[in-house]
Amino acid sequence: MSAVAAEQLIAEDAVRAAGLAVGWNGRAVLADLDLTVRWGERVALLGANGSGKTTLLRVLAGLAPPLRGELSWRGTGLPKGGARCRVVGYVLQAEPPVPFTVRQLVALGLGTDGPPSAPQAAQVSRVLADEGLTALADRSCSTLSGGEWQRTVIARALVAEPALLLLDEPTSHLDPARRAVFHERLLKVRNQAVVLATHDLELAALCDRVMILGGGRAMAVGDPAAVLTAEALEPSLGVRVRRLDDPEGGPSLFRIAGLSPGFAARRGG
Amino acid sequence: MNRWTITLSILCLVAASVGLSAGPAGWMAPWHAAQRLADGDVIVAGLRAPRVALAALVGASLGLAGAVMQTLLRNDLAEPYVLGLSGGASVGAVLSLLFLPAAPPGLFAAVGAGATALLVRGLSGAPYDRTRLLLAGVTLSSLLTSLTGLLLILAPEARLLRSTSFWLFGGMGTPHWPLLSVPAVLLLVSFAWLVPRSERLDRLTMGDDVATSLGVDVPATQRYVLVWAVVLTASAVAVGGLVGFVGLIAPHAARRLVGAPHRGMLPATVLLGAALVMGADTLARTAFAPRELPVGLVTAGLGGPFFLHLLRRAPT
Repeated sequence: MSAVAAEQLIAEDAVRAAGLAVGWNGRAVLADLDLTVRWGERVALLGANGSGKTTLLRVLAGLAPPLRGELSWRGTGLPKGGARCRVVGYVLQAEPPVPFTVRQLVALGLGTDGPPSAPQAAQVSRVLADEGLTALADRSCSTLSGGEWQRTVIARALVAEPALLLLDEPTSHLDPARRAVFHERLLKVRNQAVVLATHDLELAALCDRVMILGGGRAMAVGDPAAVLTAEALEPSLGVRVRRLDDPEGGPSLFRIAGLSPGFAARRGG
Repeated sequence: MNRWTITLSILCLVAASVGLSAGPAGWMAPWHAAQRLADGDVIVAGLRAPRVALAALVGASLGLAGAVMQTLLRNDLAEPYVLGLSGGASVGAVLSLLFLPAAPPGLFAAVGAGATALLVRGLSGAPYDRTRLLLAGVTLSSLLTSLTGLLLILAPEARLLRSTSFWLFGGMGTPHWPLLSVPAVLLLVSFAWLVPRSERLDRLTMGDDVATSLGVDVPATQRYVLVWAVVLTASAVAVGGLVGFVGLIAPHAARRLVGAPHRGMLPATVLLGAALVMGADTLARTAFAPRELPVGLVTAGLGGPFFLHLLRRAPT
């Protein structure tokens, strides 16, 4: 990519949503959302089950139209065909494995017809190496563990180097070591915008911005230090959270201190 | 060309030469058969060769139709007739045998299969829904099967039962060469359309959301794939009757041999389907000579156990 093209790309918003309403069958799950994610920025979506995180990600991925509002990617609509893979990459929450090999599956993320060209094959090998999948490259995806499969589908989304990467619960199947690796890699993201939906508060704390969803809207948006507080999290997640900051400046830890009284009452508890 | 394509092509050649060498009158050495084919011999060139070509076309078309139907419906147990096409073809064939006994039943069978596919697609509703498509197909199929039974029972002539049952199990008969050109062209065109789009079919197997996010126009691809599957099935039914199980076995066996990606799997399925039906037809012509079995009995006899094996292995 030329320097001028790269600069233009960086100046553009990876995704821009204004007055967005998303939902099912005409019924809004979330409304009045404004979200602009710039190149190199990481945004975490937090919220209880059913708060609309996945519905919002599907709309941002262009898989479902918004009910209302404006939505653009890099200032325009999504391109047709394989070019789309270079604009948005999307990793589902739970995708059933298929009987392709890891290498074949990742190559399908290129979005092109025909066997991969030599540079494409090299790109696939590079992404496999980055994700620690080289040793598994010729294994059938149906024989992988949950964590290995998750890394494979992330590699498939990354192989076309999309401007915007959308991840639904990216750490849910990862062991502690792989989770730490994922956290580290997220901190190093420079060349794409990332929006991820998660229940992992430590992961959210590593992002540049956090959006807390609840009650059909964005309850809080902002810097993790400002938003990941007990007061902001309790009404959305239904739990009392204690935040433990590392005096040496490391990432914060979050302890669930119990159900919030309001949530317990709603459950009849 | 990879080694499996070469191996399966050789298998097809062997099946074809056995088909040319064996007949109800007995067996001749393959090189004699080749010599008589070159000489334009009435038995080998006039009777056996078009029959072998017909078997190859039917097997290849049904294999290809089954493979893409499994991809389209994302279901291991899908086969070319699954959307009620066999029921529609049967009604068409029985009506043809009843009212136009001189005409070959294939044309009306193909019309019946095509009409059923349109009806099933219409009944399954606007956004593409695999479960509704399958349920509509199964329901329509059972309705049409009962209609076939009713027609046979109320039919004024008993001979209808015999000719129909021969056709229903894939009685092929000896075709004239020009008749074979239609299914041959359809097979070539559909193959030439589907294989270059193999990676889109691969992406389609991963679910609609993933396929869409990887740039596949899912509704358009599904529409074209369904049209080709129905055209291939109808053309095979028109010339070969209802030959069962090939459309189920050939894609599964091909996946086992060459892997799931369509770029290798589709050619392997076509070759395997052709070899299977050529082999089954040779058995059907010779096993109880001079009586001829419908080839569908042989493919079902081989396919039944395989299908049961698959059912035991399929996740519930």
